[in-house]
Amino acid sequence: MLQKSSKKYISLLAFIAPAFILYLCFLLIPTISGLYYSFTNWNGLNPTYKFIGLENFIEIFKEDPYFMDSVWFTLKYVVCMVVFQNVIALLLAVFIESRTRSKGFFRTIFFMPNMISIIISAFMWTFIFTQVFPQLAEKTILTFLGQSWIGDPKYSFIAILIVSLWNGVGYMMIIYLAGLQGVPQHLKEAAVIDGANAFQQFRNVTLPMITHAITICLFLTLNNAFKVYEVVFGLTGGGPGRSTQVITMNIFEEAFSNNFRYGYASAKSVILFILVLIFTLIQIRMTKKKEVEA
Amino acid sequence: MRKIFSSLMVVILLTTVLAACGGNSAGTNTENTPGTGNGNKLEGKSVTLKVFIAQPRFKEQYDKLAEAFTEKVKVEKNIDLTIQLELPNSDSAPQILKTRLASNDAPDVFSLHAINEIPSFYKAGYLEDLSDQPFVATLMDNIKSAVTSDDGKVVALPLETLSWGYLYNKDIFAEHNLEVPTTLTEMKAVVDTLNAANVKPFLLSYKEAWIPQLLLPLSVGALIEAGNSDFIARMNNNEGSFSEMSEMFNIFDLINANGTDRALEIGGDDGAAKFGNGEAAMWLQGPWFAETILKSNENMNFGVAPLPINDDPNTTLINLSASTSLAVSKSSKNKEVAIDFINFIMSEEYSNELFQSLMFNPTSTVHTFESFPWVDDATVFVKEGKAYQDPAIPQVVKDEVGKGLQSYFAGQLTKEQVIDALDKAWQSFNKVNN
Repeated sequence: MLQKSSKKYISLLAFIAPAFILYLCFLLIPTISGLYYSFTNWNGLNPTYKFIGLENFIEIFKEDPYFMDSVWFTLKYVVCMVVFQNVIALLLAVFIESRTRSKGFFRTIFFMPNMISIIISAFMWTFIFTQVFPQLAEKTILTFLGQSWIGDPKYSFIAILIVSLWNGVGYMMIIYLAGLQGVPQHLKEAAVIDGANAFQQFRNVTLPMITHAITICLFLTLNNAFKVYEVVFGLTGGGPGRSTQVITMNIFEEAFSNNFRYGYASAKSVILFILVLIFTLIQIRMTKKKEVEA
Repeated sequence: MRKIFSSLMVVILLTTVLAACGGNSAGTNTENTPGTGNGNKLEGKSVTLKVFIAQPRFKEQYDKLAEAFTEKVKVEKNIDLTIQLELPNSDSAPQILKTRLASNDAPDVFSLHAINEIPSFYKAGYLEDLSDQPFVATLMDNIKSAVTSDDGKVVALPLETLSWGYLYNKDIFAEHNLEVPTTLTEMKAVVDTLNAANVKPFLLSYKEAWIPQLLLPLSVGALIEAGNSDFIARMNNNEGSFSEMSEMFNIFDLINANGTDRALEIGGDDGAAKFGNGEAAMWLQGPWFAETILKSNENMNFGVAPLPINDDPNTTLINLSASTSLAVSKSSKNKEVAIDFINFIMSEEYSNELFQSLMFNPTSTVHTFESFPWVDDATVFVKEGKAYQDPAIPQVVKDEVGKGLQSYFAGQLTKEQVIDALDKAWQSFNKVNN
């Protein structure tokens, strides 16, 4: 009996081994060594370095205003992204689902931007912001388009949001669409018979039935928004100055361009990791509770 | 039966994964075992030389170089040499190189930036001393100092050198009968003439932080030459301040007040296209954009001139710096061949051809080829002694000044705040590196 169950585990382990070994080599081991380096003052080059305990972490919180600024900026971005990306995706999904014809057409159109790699779309939009919009403002009455979109710190945040949403909404929309299609027809009909109007039907029947889709989408948007890099890199490069610098960019700068402080940058990455972990854990706890079965 | 089959599959998969991981290091080790640095022992053997240069755009030229050297070694020393050329993108090259060095898999010959990287690599003990090599004697003096370590050893061969200030459109200057200004006042006069003629004096392209950053080496270098010669040393001891350099804002303000619109949205390449199309008369930029400018307008007639910082014509100087340089790894197992390779690059028989095909400036007395008009422009100043060695400003300060001047331009920071941020950046550099 005992032998049989151990055999079962061995074959199970054997099955996950290929994936697990890749995961171990390229994710787990680097993560752990990153954690280790965060307690050192290694500069990425010297063969020798010292173990300095929590000094890096203390410095981050005490003497690094740029990092703190980037954390606030990223949080602002996360909040906007989580809210807008999900709201817009859900609206689009409901809109498409309500169409009887040309469903496929709209689905394709809205999903299309997601097929373009995000760095390419950032470069495309750079062209739109710097060349197309000013021309439009000049030749039409849409003068509000004429401002410096990516050069002015006041508007560059909006520019970053626009591109991220344009690129990211389609994917969430597909997940919501799948969720909406899973809502049983008989529940909707029952609600209609009970005299619910369209909004009540959406609020009390559809929404609870797609909470699992909301869980996934919130998780994905939250996670990705914290790790944003390419959009900002492609559009503003964190500038002007550091006004649109996100956490990942600050870490990259610390490790690869400033003083090459790998240890210190690793400590920042650990903080980012903990931030993401805390936020996603809370989010999953909260939304999981609300999920219901049909 | 199925179980046996599946576990077999897993074993096969596993071995392939592991083999792929291990393959690299095993292969290189065996290749390197012959040859312990002694030329005689190498005779008739095969040697692999790993060469790492962060300039993929010159693949053709370097392939030719490798071929020529392989042939020479075969004829003269009877060694079967294989050169493994690795030409990574310059953005990722430093990371790749550092990883290779840290994992004891150093390329035998590798490229690095003379001013920015040699000091830290030398300190970490990765660079072979090349002071006794024949090529050293042929190097031009002001270039030699760029590849010399603090304790006076030549540790690299300067490949790419730059002499730069700002670029100006010769046609526009000729059209309005303008001379290249030698003082700030003269520069103001030039700007006024251009404004009166409805020509934009300056092209602004500040989207990428490294472009406004260019102002710092230009003004610090000039002001050091003008008498503040111990500035770098004092900064390294936390004793100086950039407030001594505040003159640089005079020219920066002048440039910004008379520049093109939407500066923070224009990057280097866009700027080159606009400059090529004659949208402005001058551009704070070096000749490294020559190729891009000519691509947008092949008849473009532009020159390099020194940027005036103040009203003393003696501070209006060309910045002369070495960038890409080749070093020999201290841990190389084929040092002899690697050093021969370095000398070959500067040899009379091949150097002219190579440097000409790379479009690099002459760096050594063996170079007799004709260079480009904009290089000649700058060389005129250099020959008159109107040049200075690019000051050794830490990378972190250069990054900081680029971002600081962007913010200053956007109106987010004042002069004092920029100066303060620069001082802090240098202090943090001192703290980390001492």
